Amino acid sequence: MSVNHSHEDLAPRQLVRTHLLRRESIGNSYHVLTFEAGSGLQPKPGQFTMIRSPEWGQAPLLPRPMSFLSGGPLPSLLVKVCGDGSARLGRAEPGEPFDLLGPLGTAWHTPDPDRRQVLVAGGVGIAPLLFLARSLGKPKKRPILLYGGRTQRDLPLSEDAIDVCDVQVTTEDGSAGHRGRVTDLLAETLGSDTEVFTCGPDRMMAAVARTCVNAGVPCEVSLEAPMACGYGVCLGCAIPAAKGGYIYACVSGPCINARDIDWERTHATFGESSLKVIAK
Amino acid sequence: MTSQSVKIGSLELKSPVLTASGCFGYGLEFDDFFDIATLGGICTKGLSLQPRDGNPPHRICETPAGMLNAIGLANVGVEAFCRDKLPTLRQRGVTVIANIFATSIEDFVALAQRLDAETGVAAVELNVSCPNVTHGGIEFGRDAKMAAQVTAAVRAATKLPVWVKMSPEAGDLIGVARACEDAGADAITAINTIRGMVIDIGTMRPKLANATGGLSGPALRPIAVRIVWELAAALKIPVIGIGGITDTRDALEFILAGASAVQVGTASFRDPSSAQTIMKGLATFCEERNCNITDLIGKARRPL
Repeated sequence: MSVNHSHEDLAPRQLVRTHLLRRESIGNSYHVLTFEAGSGLQPKPGQFTMIRSPEWGQAPLLPRPMSFLSGGPLPSLLVKVCGDGSARLGRAEPGEPFDLLGPLGTAWHTPDPDRRQVLVAGGVGIAPLLFLARSLGKPKKRPILLYGGRTQRDLPLSEDAIDVCDVQVTTEDGSAGHRGRVTDLLAETLGSDTEVFTCGPDRMMAAVARTCVNAGVPCEVSLEAPMACGYGVCLGCAIPAAKGGYIYACVSGPCINARDIDWERTHATFGESSLKVIAK
Repeated sequence: MTSQSVKIGSLELKSPVLTASGCFGYGLEFDDFFDIATLGGICTKGLSLQPRDGNPPHRICETPAGMLNAIGLANVGVEAFCRDKLPTLRQRGVTVIANIFATSIEDFVALAQRLDAETGVAAVELNVSCPNVTHGGIEFGRDAKMAAQVTAAVRAATKLPVWVKMSPEAGDLIGVARACEDAGADAITAINTIRGMVIDIGTMRPKLANATGGLSGPALRPIAVRIVWELAAALKIPVIGIGGITDTRDALEFILAGASAVQVGTASFRDPSSAQTIMKGLATFCEERNCNITDLIGKARRPL
């Protein structure tokens, strides 16, 4: 298995004042936001930003953690509207000023050229995985994307993913693709020459991690937790660690080996509230 | 040339702007953002004798113009701090205020003695006001007699200046602060967070695993300014103001109310350079009015 990016490989963190270049809506709940960032942010796939508009005043008070959908001079984010902050992002107009703190956290490990990449996405969790798939250049085998949502409306960017992945979609209501969950298709997709990258609801990622452990396939997850700072000082984003205690999603993650997480305790402590797909 | 220098007892700070405990890690997390040695000082994450994992998640949630936290004093422990963090801070000339937390007077004393043995610690700040742990913390800060006992014991155990961080939930706030002053405290930091709660209507449970959490951020500020105003009138020792400071104007409110220095907390979360921006803003404010920062302390109190 390839090694993770060391912190030396990652661009220094900075707070960049920028503005929204464009917002593309996907249905009612999803938006792709593209920003003008010049050379300011240099995220690697898997890294995230804390985003906030100075026009928000004192509420919402805190920036929101969002994985990058793309990097370069025009970085973009995929937003699912599910609360006050994401609602503000979902109605932002071009020209609105934004502060982006980043790039933050760990990147996905460099994909192993001798393995086929299996990407497992739940809803808005597609963002860091599509960034990864697009960064692969011309792999020997196109990555496989298993993409699940509650309904066909919860599969944003699935058309875009077809350009770089072999895509199989699942919906819980059967409105698109296989009726059921992504994990229904995972075991048969895995082989000794595959590696898995996953981002989605905790329960989905826990099931993916379990399947990968049983199959002896490496699995990296992208964590999500409420956080205030994004750079390791608020200590809000504690995730139960396999070795006991907690790791912090913002600095030990978001991208981390699935074996480093105590999924039982994660489920027990986060409970039902973690089961819905939250904006990534 | 005007001066930003303030005196907190025997300790001279080059700026009245410090960063608050729990909102600034151990300082080294800010390397990418600015030179923290330029600050008046940094208050470390609350240190205990043994490392602490902290509370289970969820630990934080946002509230109108504020946030709740129930971190549970997760920290590396005083030994790891002295071994892994302090040497770098010392080398860089950072003014370090060690915030300490314990569940017994003996442990407060042991912590103070341990830090007294190190060079590079400018003062200790006693956290007798954490609302998020079952034992210690706020228990010491609610009662004047207990607060005085802790203060006196630490005072006797170290030559470092001793600051006491107050809870706004101490019933007789002025009584507790005066008791600490009489017991030898060099300054009072006010205020720590106020306990609050948010219920998740989806799960029909409190959002925080700890049920309650400490409210911080701008929502807290008018309460904090009022308390600083009252304490500054009642005490001879300096008051260090804290509670929802996000910009220069906020910091000035506390100083005009009587604070000799201020601490920037939650604001660092959304902009890591907040404290630096406020520090520069205060210097500009004083330059424009050709006054020293000390001329402004308590000025809101002058007769009409």
